[in-house]
Amino acid sequence: MRRSTPLCSLALACLVGCQGFVGDTPSRPGDGERRIPEGVVVPAPQTRLARLTHTQWENTVIDLFGFDGPTGLSEALRADSLPGEAIFDNPGGALDVDEVLWSGYQRAAGVLAERATTDEAIFARIAPETGGDDRDRATRFVRAFGERAHRRPLTDDEVSEYVMLYDSASGLYGATDDLHSGVRLVLEAMLQSPFLLYRVELSSARESGTIPLDDHEIASRLSYALWDSMPDEELFAAARAGMLSDPESVAVQARRMVDDPRAEAVFVRFHRQLFDVDDFEGIAPSPDRFPDAPRDLGALAAEEHDRFVREIVFGRDGGYRDLLTSPDTFVNAELAAIYGVPGSFGEAMELVTLDPAQRRGVFTQIGFLASNATQTSPDPIHRGVFLAERIACVHIDAPPDDITPPPVIEGATNRETVANHTEQPGSRCAGCHAQIINPFGFPFESYDATGAWREIDNGQPVDTTGSPPIDGVPTPVGGAVELADAMAESTWVHECYVRHWVERTMGRHAEPEDQALVSQLAEGSRDGSLSIRELVVQIVTSRAFLHRSTREVSE
Amino acid sequence: MSKLGRRLVLRGAFGATLALPFLESVGRPAARAEGEDASYAIFFRQANGVATARSSVLGDEPERFWPRSLGPLTLDSVRDRALDELSPYLSKLLVVGNVNTQAFDYGDGHARGALQCLTARGPVVAGAGGGSEAAGESIDHRIGRQLNPDGRDSWFMYAGRGSGWLGGPCISYRGPGDRRSPFHDPNEAYRNLVGGDAGLSAEAQRQIAERGRSVNDLVRTQLSRLMSRPELSRADKDRVDLHQSAIRDLEVRLSCQLDDDRVRALEGLGAAHESTDGDEVLAAARLHMDVAALAVACGVTRSVAIQIGSGNDGSTRYRDASGGLMENFHFLSHRRLSHGSDGAVIADSDRLHHQVDRHFAATFRHLLDRLSEYAMPSGATLLDCGVSCWLNDLGSGPAHARSDIPWVLAGSAGGALRTGEHVELGGGNDVNHNRLLSTIASAVGCTKDGGEPLDDFGDPSLPRGLLGELLA
Repeated sequence: MRRSTPLCSLALACLVGCQGFVGDTPSRPGDGERRIPEGVVVPAPQTRLARLTHTQWENTVIDLFGFDGPTGLSEALRADSLPGEAIFDNPGGALDVDEVLWSGYQRAAGVLAERATTDEAIFARIAPETGGDDRDRATRFVRAFGERAHRRPLTDDEVSEYVMLYDSASGLYGATDDLHSGVRLVLEAMLQSPFLLYRVELSSARESGTIPLDDHEIASRLSYALWDSMPDEELFAAARAGMLSDPESVAVQARRMVDDPRAEAVFVRFHRQLFDVDDFEGIAPSPDRFPDAPRDLGALAAEEHDRFVREIVFGRDGGYRDLLTSPDTFVNAELAAIYGVPGSFGEAMELVTLDPAQRRGVFTQIGFLASNATQTSPDPIHRGVFLAERIACVHIDAPPDDITPPPVIEGATNRETVANHTEQPGSRCAGCHAQIINPFGFPFESYDATGAWREIDNGQPVDTTGSPPIDGVPTPVGGAVELADAMAESTWVHECYVRHWVERTMGRHAEPEDQALVSQLAEGSRDGSLSIRELVVQIVTSRAFLHRSTREVSE
Repeated sequence: MSKLGRRLVLRGAFGATLALPFLESVGRPAARAEGEDASYAIFFRQANGVATARSSVLGDEPERFWPRSLGPLTLDSVRDRALDELSPYLSKLLVVGNVNTQAFDYGDGHARGALQCLTARGPVVAGAGGGSEAAGESIDHRIGRQLNPDGRDSWFMYAGRGSGWLGGPCISYRGPGDRRSPFHDPNEAYRNLVGGDAGLSAEAQRQIAERGRSVNDLVRTQLSRLMSRPELSRADKDRVDLHQSAIRDLEVRLSCQLDDDRVRALEGLGAAHESTDGDEVLAAARLHMDVAALAVACGVTRSVAIQIGSGNDGSTRYRDASGGLMENFHFLSHRRLSHGSDGAVIADSDRLHHQVDRHFAATFRHLLDRLSEYAMPSGATLLDCGVSCWLNDLGSGPAHARSDIPWVLAGSAGGALRTGEHVELGGGNDVNHNRLLSTIASAVGCTKDGGEPLDDFGDPSLPRGLLGELLA
């Protein structure tokens, strides 16, 4: 998330010698003391109190009350500041509740409680009349609704406390009757309870070197990983029945869940964050240079991207190599013009197959290309850095920021200018640029600042050759299409993708403990035996997902 | 002895605070509530340096920011400089030259500037560039932590796109690597301040307060139980602690409300606070300032940080003199059509950068106007009781300069600071920015554990001490 904007390439233009890791999990403070068995899937330390993201909170209240659509209340919650290294918005251990957010939760709870107790249809749904007096009805409401709000059965003490709260509400909502007043006050409390706002894991019994999660904790891990929301009734029922202690039963639930429409939004959101799709809105090619480019090119590219992901993941049950290499995409008339697709198109997006000699996969689509460009020219530095760091997990040290740009060479191509700037032998820049960044970026010189195909730059033929380090080995490619194919065959690229999925599903940064799981699943992703959906199912049915580490975070 | 010194001595003598009393408000001007020291600090941050004399791809750019001479600020000394937007307040200003920050290894000039500007700290992880975090508490939080009533958080406010370089809001830290989240929508800040709807009957207020207390008590009990669980890590317990301390019983502050016009402006702001249009962003900033001034006046917080734009303010497009949208501010500051050193040169970009500086100066003037509307019983204004700082995190854009960082202070913090002058800090290129932060914090009343003025803020390796050049 934090790295989602174009890097400051005054700084980026030159890099100190590339240090750090390549294709491996970065070491973090304390890692050196951990003894991690090689090849064995083990859980990594993570928070016991993962605060819901605002998206998860919104989805949760929708499901909790059975609303037809978004409440919009999450938009008023103050935005989270995420850790610098976070790509995804759900690092649960880094999300906290300060005064500002607390007051937002409090106001939202008030609005929701009022809505639920003044709309009789909702009220009847959450506190059904099943005989007995009002207090009996309220007690049943506390147990049933409380189980769903806390995502586990309430203890008897908790039930008593909520019922006491119910009893105290008489006269606190003007002329509202006691039943509705009591339920409303209990709702306000449950909606502010830490057991709703956080995904709480308190299991502590050790078994064979790990801590198995209990059934309800597993249900919540599953639902928030796959749906960004609370468990549904079927998942609750499985938890109540103790079925989620069995990985096979978890797999049944997981496969059911990834087929649910709620998973589609999560998979699309994952790829939006992974591929920095929010940056597409900053696409603004120069009107002088590209007078025909649509003013809303960024929005169109984002829609194209989302449709492409849905088509690959859900329409075709495809794998990551399909995202990397498919020549298919979605265009309307304006995007078709940029891609040079013949035929007649209107405003609606249509599935087309692009020229496979020019386009293969998500990185040859307009969004990536135009968002990693200046207003007038392709930006091979940013294209290269993104592919190296985000897609191949090759670490590149941050650059110095006191580089004086060299004089512009009249008549030079974009590539020549960048190479002159960054690859001077013996310079501080050459190490990373000559070996990693430019070889990943130059193959895309055949796409201009709008993502359109080009063969001439500044009067000269474009040069798209390069030898990017694929799995650490310089690998000659003739252009972006060959680079896409090479990445699709790369173990590191698939490991990187799996690692990102582990981060997203676990809600934390990748840790050394994840490597065994990452390696195993990356092989299936690379050889095509694992679709993206099945890859995620494998993560959420793994020992790492269903257990806690015996170590706590920051120990 | 400086007034800061005298104040601290008196502080010791009376054992508490010296009270810069206050206030009641229905819009303006303010009445007062007694017994509270009103000294405070407000930090208003601009990115990307200022348009000052330098050599660039455009050639030799003229001086357009700093006064013509050291010493008293006069209309002549600031004529045609961005500071002339502040002409009505020259007697209240202290323009500080030669503020130099440390060359911490953030791996990026904007990270080094923005994350250091209020923390005076290096990064948690060296060379992390755009993924950097500061390794310490920021001065705004430090001031609030010591001076705010009831353990309340200081206020952090932000206008501009919520994402971007360094993640958007990035200058305020609770501790090492613990970045704070801001008020983004000024209307949200106002509602938080007011605490409830205006116009309610006393009985309705009683019911709201009682409901809130009941719910809060139950939630506090749940959090306490969580806190007692031995399984929780220290980090998790810290988060539970923060959550517990965030819970407030409802305070409906009928006496702390803006006038109807401003409330309507807040409600009509829409999504301007996250716009890329500079006019809208600065309109949101001005509303933030309205609410911040009221919050300070009401004694809710004694420290506010207001950040405009992300780490490099790379999304906001301010407007030129004709009302047209310029290129985004980061491009302008680099003088080129890109976020880097490539891209075509933007003609006239030094003059356009100066125009942006003027926008910020005028917005800062809005803050000073608001603070001036609140009258103190002594006849002084709220502006005089504290210090408001318009600061940058870089000296100039293209070079990402860490020297000669513009800091413009307004208000004497109750007589502790000099005003009406342009001073230049001594010591050549020595790092002194952390001492500036210490001086400001001390001026508004921050002390070390032993009661001495806070003079050691920031990275422990940096020189300590207050800046005598700034003290009255």
